[in-house]
Amino acid sequence: MNVLRPLTCASIAVVALFASGCASGVRNPSGVPVTVMKADEQGFVAGTGIESQDLVAVTDKMARSILNTPEIKGFAGGPPRVVLLPVENETRFALNKDIFLTRIRTQLNSKAQGQVRFLARERMQALEDERRLKREGSVTSNTNPNVQEFKGADFFLTGKLSGLTTKTKAGTSDYILYSFQLIDPRTTDILWEDSAEVKKQGLEDAAYR
Amino acid sequence: MPPRAPFFVPRLGCLLSLAFALAGCTSLSPEKQAERNRQLDDYRAGLKALRSGDLVSARQRLDSAVLTLGGLSVGDKTAKEARNYFKEESRKNFRGEPYERAMAFYYRGLLYWMDGEPDNARACFRSAAVQDMAPEIGITEADWTLLDYLDGLATVKLRGDGKDQLKRARKSARLNPPPDYDGQANVLVFLECGTGPTKYSAGEYGEQLRFRPGSAPGSLVQFVVNGQTNKFGPYDDLTYQATTRGGRLMDHILAGKAVFKTGADSFGDAAVVSGAILAIGGQGSRGAADEIGFGLLAAGLISKAVSAATTPAADTRTWDNLPNFISFAALRLAPGPHTAQIQFQTQTGQPVTTRAVTFTVAPDRDTVLFVSDRNL
Repeated sequence: MNVLRPLTCASIAVVALFASGCASGVRNPSGVPVTVMKADEQGFVAGTGIESQDLVAVTDKMARSILNTPEIKGFAGGPPRVVLLPVENETRFALNKDIFLTRIRTQLNSKAQGQVRFLARERMQALEDERRLKREGSVTSNTNPNVQEFKGADFFLTGKLSGLTTKTKAGTSDYILYSFQLIDPRTTDILWEDSAEVKKQGLEDAAYR
Repeated sequence: MPPRAPFFVPRLGCLLSLAFALAGCTSLSPEKQAERNRQLDDYRAGLKALRSGDLVSARQRLDSAVLTLGGLSVGDKTAKEARNYFKEESRKNFRGEPYERAMAFYYRGLLYWMDGEPDNARACFRSAAVQDMAPEIGITEADWTLLDYLDGLATVKLRGDGKDQLKRARKSARLNPPPDYDGQANVLVFLECGTGPTKYSAGEYGEQLRFRPGSAPGSLVQFVVNGQTNKFGPYDDLTYQATTRGGRLMDHILAGKAVFKTGADSFGDAAVVSGAILAIGGQGSRGAADEIGFGLLAAGLISKAVSAATTPAADTRTWDNLPNFISFAALRLAPGPHTAQIQFQTQTGQPVTTRAVTFTVAPDRDTVLFVSDRNL
């Protein structure tokens, strides 16, 4: 009789017992990786919120779209002046909203070659101070400082971030609609509007559920 | 031929090695554990800073905390460790239970509103509500009164319609129904009192996560300003939020660990006893019964070692400076300096703590006050 056979069986049983300790019995215990849907780029994504790749994809699209707007292309009397209005955040993600408009502005300024001009309204206090100093003669001026040269807006550019969150057994899904508008401040007409959508979903590790 | 050592000697060596190896699985250096408690430290320090008026630190710590919560835990090696039968749950990076995660977003939202960003505040309240949902255990919507109420108030302030949020807030109100929104209210008072729930483990191996209820002797707040007396009751109870969820998915994993531990231990007992009987019965004759007996004995000891190394204990790390009740009030006050007398009272109106708070109402945006019975 081979006396080692029972020993082998016992050893296998213990090893199996030991190995089964690694099994949790929970479906998708490690979670499901986040998937970026309908976006230009897909890289490592840490969450279902608004991330840099979304910012880049959305603002690139908006900048291209603005330049193809007939009101911009055919604007009479030189390049139109645009003032940025704060973006409204209606999502569940807190963020620096101005970063969207800042990137659209930098894209247009660097690639549109003067087709659009932006007015630095957020620097108004410093600009007014400078003009006052010139008018008082405290600093030099190349032009007559008493002539009103601050320009008014031909268009307002603004946007809204809207979100829809779904949480099910399969995980968390966040859909975000980025919409931007060009508004004529004289008539309140919305001259241009475009949007981009991003949907992301993922599932937390079972250790946190 | 040299005499052979008893066949079980090398196996006993293996057994001891295995036991040491398994024992090694359960320990973590203090530095590594501290790293994994970073989120907990951020929670505690952020709230402490908020209560002491150090808003810069509060923002930094809470930003760090909510950023971590915003990212999914997929690929977190420490979470994988926590699910391992031979490693404790407390080895995972701390994120907290849903009520703790919700409170991190709540405090960050409060700070955003303080900074004149009600939309980002609303975003935080919405994220806080998402933390409370657990579809896997049948919780498909949040039941925090204040989160929905503040979401709606921020929406009203941003010229939106907060009716749905108000309806949800009233539906989940257990303690006090929230009032209609006053879009003209310019002073927002975030109130909190008491000591929040704490965690402990129960069950044979500490595998069941349990909560000790928090307490708040003074849960009514009397707010006197400009000769007007306002009384506010709590809207949300953190003990209720902690104890009424019905379990976690991780509880099933821990229960599985406990069953495994018991099974391995029982098997070990049976194998050791039967192996010893067979081995003694063989009287060292090196016969088949002798060999089988020593084999069973070895297997039993290994199984006992495996059982001893299994760690089903629940993670009891707690955000321990949370309040037990949170409340809110929106008031209309003229711009300029004001002094308010704030008194936390018992349910029967007996004063517990009374202090004076001086603040300045801004002319062009909401003035947000954070009043805790611990920051007075």
